[in-house]
Amino acid sequence: MALLTVKGLTKYFGGLRAVHDLSFEVQPGEILGLIGPNGAGKTTAFNLIAGFIHPTRGQILLDGESIAGMKPYAVTRKGIARTFQIVKPFKKLTVLENVTLAAFLRFPSRGEAESQARRVLERMGLESKISALAVDLTLSEQKRLEIARALATQPKLLLLDEPMSGLNATEIEQASILVRDICKGGVTIVWVEHVLKAIMNSSNRVVVINQGEKIADAPPEQIVENPNVIAAYLGTKRR
Amino acid sequence: MKKIIIALAILLLFTAPWIVSAPFFVHLMIMVLMWAVLGASWNILGGFTGQVSFGHATFLGAGAYTTMILYLKLGIAPWYGIPIGGLAAALIALPIGFICFRLRGPYFALSTLAVAEIIRLVALNWESLTNGPVGLLITTLPDVTFGERLIDWESKIPFYYIIAVITLGSIVATYIMSRTRLGAYSLAIREDIDSAEAIGINTVQARVAALSLSAFFAGVAGGFYAMYLRYVDPDAVFSIALSVEMVFIAVVGGLTTVAGPLIGAIVLVAFGEIFREIFLVHFKLVGHLIFYGLMMMIVIRYLPEGIWGKLRLWFGSQH
Repeated sequence: MALLTVKGLTKYFGGLRAVHDLSFEVQPGEILGLIGPNGAGKTTAFNLIAGFIHPTRGQILLDGESIAGMKPYAVTRKGIARTFQIVKPFKKLTVLENVTLAAFLRFPSRGEAESQARRVLERMGLESKISALAVDLTLSEQKRLEIARALATQPKLLLLDEPMSGLNATEIEQASILVRDICKGGVTIVWVEHVLKAIMNSSNRVVVINQGEKIADAPPEQIVENPNVIAAYLGTKRR
Repeated sequence: MKKIIIALAILLLFTAPWIVSAPFFVHLMIMVLMWAVLGASWNILGGFTGQVSFGHATFLGAGAYTTMILYLKLGIAPWYGIPIGGLAAALIALPIGFICFRLRGPYFALSTLAVAEIIRLVALNWESLTNGPVGLLITTLPDVTFGERLIDWESKIPFYYIIAVITLGSIVATYIMSRTRLGAYSLAIREDIDSAEAIGINTVQARVAALSLSAFFAGVAGGFYAMYLRYVDPDAVFSIALSVEMVFIAVVGGLTTVAGPLIGAIVLVAFGEIFREIFLVHFKLVGHLIFYGLMMMIVIRYLPEGIWGKLRLWFGSQH
């Protein structure tokens, strides 16, 4: 059975159709890339799944259970964690405190929450920064902190909203390895990204949306040859 | 070292009326401590969760009227009435919280102002319960014996000890909060509410809990205020000026600190009073608000973390 099923998901902002009749499934253990031109509705789709906005129509099922219309904290408790496109760390708290707060969700005692936080931070390569304030980290570190915080809630499904944006080539390479590692650790990943090279190298499957609608759903090597996708990104030839 | 300082502070708190026993100074110390409780109340919400309330007089007034009405109409003695006043304030904070916390940032702040005004108008017009603008007055307090002695309510000393205990309670509660999950969640909410939701924090529930705890202390202070003055009316306990003064004290003392509100109250209330005396004598002006304004400007410009927020770093304290 699919871990996440999205069926006929539709969101209007007044007259603006941000997401229209979007359907796709996420299988356990895969990395699903979600791409599309600017304004295609990727982040809206994310916000709908994570509960930050509520759908006009459509279903969102996690393990067969409907989560559409739930509040964000309830969605996280069900096992979906997210990161934000523009990082939102708890700036004036330390790195350890940032992640410990997230670990409280599964570990009510401070001691256990802290050791969970340390484990996750080590995986993210942030163990040397645990006493630093989040605001003092580099962007690359803040992005990793954001992922660490999401992982500390022990999600089944991790939603990454452009984790590569603003990173340099070396950092992108490191981040790709990190994302694949997380997946190997048993967390399913849905990943919105503008850096296509990274997503094509790491995803098992790619869903392309344009103007709120799905235009392709296939493994990465087929996506790059799909005429609809090429048209959406580059436009069509005038005849 | 820290323990010694805390022990000395507590010793000073309980011996102060023996050191300076002139009624004016005891009255001043009572006012300082009462405002320390109100500052602590505001700090629990405004400091920890970062939710700015301009309507905290609501809870002060709720506590004051509850204690007063219980005593006048049902004969319930103030030492029950004051904590019940706190509970009543905590209780009315629940619906207010669930409604107002649908809003964020400045919109929340404005909604608290609106709620406070609504409640003030209710108190003004619900004459059968509150006696309207005339207010409620009590002439005598019930007899209480402490050991063998009958407590003399005409003296200010018993009131000093009551408010000293309440102040200590508010400081201990703030300390405990800062070390529990509610405190940690509050900081997360203060730093970034979207991220707080994203890591599974029910931010409405956490904010309502903080508001309710905050309201409890404002209510207790209100109950005390009513018994100390032996009088309440809507303007004396529900006015916006009171709400704003709570903000001043918490900010000047140092937000999110444990001892900040007490320091803020000492600086603003005690020095403000002295300033007022000087102005009254020399310039025939009521000048303490000038002092408040000056302090606010100095703190915002040079000490955004508040007086204690800065000092505690020198003491190497986290609280």
